[in-house]
Amino acid sequence: MADDISVPEGFGKMLDPMEPEGRAALGRLIERGVGEAVTVGAVVPLSGGASSATYRVEAEIGCALRHFIFQRTASAEHHSLPRAVQAAVQKRAGALGVPVAPVIAVAEPEDCLGDAAVTALVAGEALAQKWLRLPEYEAARAALTGQCAAALAKLHAAPASHWSDLPLTGGSGADLLAAMFESYRRLDVDVPAFDLAFAWLKPRMPTGPATCLAHGDFRSGNFLVDGQGLAAVLDWELTHLSVPAEDLGWLCVQAWRFGQWQMPVGGFGTREALVEAYRAAGGRVALDDLRVWEVFGNLKWGMSCLQLADDHVSGRVPSVERAAIGRRVSEVAADLTYLVAFGDL
Amino acid sequence: MGHPTALQLLEAVRLFLKQAEGALSGRLAFHAKVAANTLAIVERELALEPDGAEAAALAAYGGMAVLCEGLRSGALDPADKALLAAVRAAVLARLAVDNPRYATFKRLQEREIS
Repeated sequence: MADDISVPEGFGKMLDPMEPEGRAALGRLIERGVGEAVTVGAVVPLSGGASSATYRVEAEIGCALRHFIFQRTASAEHHSLPRAVQAAVQKRAGALGVPVAPVIAVAEPEDCLGDAAVTALVAGEALAQKWLRLPEYEAARAALTGQCAAALAKLHAAPASHWSDLPLTGGSGADLLAAMFESYRRLDVDVPAFDLAFAWLKPRMPTGPATCLAHGDFRSGNFLVDGQGLAAVLDWELTHLSVPAEDLGWLCVQAWRFGQWQMPVGGFGTREALVEAYRAAGGRVALDDLRVWEVFGNLKWGMSCLQLADDHVSGRVPSVERAAIGRRVSEVAADLTYLVAFGDL
Repeated sequence: MGHPTALQLLEAVRLFLKQAEGALSGRLAFHAKVAANTLAIVERELALEPDGAEAAALAAYGGMAVLCEGLRSGALDPADKALLAAVRAAVLARLAVDNPRYATFKRLQEREIS
């Protein structure tokens, strides 16, 4: 929420978009994007992720009322990708045929709105717990595996060189695993199931260079879903260069099934259907590679739990939520043990 | 008599947090719920004392730190059945405290490694 926001580096003074001065600045930012005079109406905070503050913005343009999403990086500690880079990636992904929210404008330091961007509001349900369970999304759930596979196949079809002008991180699977192992060792904890997974993954990670852009956080919690299925892929802040199987494996991580564990793909589909639809859409991935990246994904989620808990334990961010998430490490430990022992989860 | 145990105190605070959650909204209500769940973990930890079971499960490998070091150095094979069985037992002891309702808890409990 608005009060835990600290100022990201290089963005100096930051206005509250719910206060008059901030609303005026937001109006000017939207004007720049739409090229017409804008009067900002209601600005409503939405519950966002830990790294972003998100608002729904109502604006009068001519005599029409339009809705936008204003999102800014919540805190300097997160080192997430600058909004300008995220916006560039999101636009290009849209041009490749991935459903995304159209980018309207990206804030400059002189806007005093922080590292932020405005996108058009896309209609749809963002709460996975709702669209995974409610009967009115039945058709959407049935279509979603194919739509996710098609969106990823389009994104991954562009070679790494398509993104080479953007400052993106990434590397081979082996590089990504080594970086994650380094973070694990820095936390100086012993979690046997995590070491089991690191040791199991080490000889199995691909060593070839990154071949494409991975969304990096392609999971049920980052989709907008309407009655027909996938309306938009959100949250491009973890995007990086990798190989296709990383995004596909991440989609199968247990934590995003929200209890629908019999459906390994995001709580709504099967791995076989995902791989087949991905192939039908022009992509290529082997089921065995998917399984390796699924173990990698579960381990990566476990590392996030450890890191969030460390924020509390170290005293950096005292929080009951972050302390509690530390005990979710046991859930991931069980998932990893199951995966390594039985090859399937 | 009339002197509540630590477990009873925790239970009392957990029930209070449940009531408070109903009177709160948004982020605070969510944090009250998380806090109540957290106390339930502490209650289970006091009742089940998982440290003993975890240590017993990993004793044959010299304990947690030595086992982890063995996996890091390559001295231990992550596909070794006896090792997997030991890690499974340690994981189950922890998860029985942290979240016994987690689907994988039951699945892992019901499937022996052989």
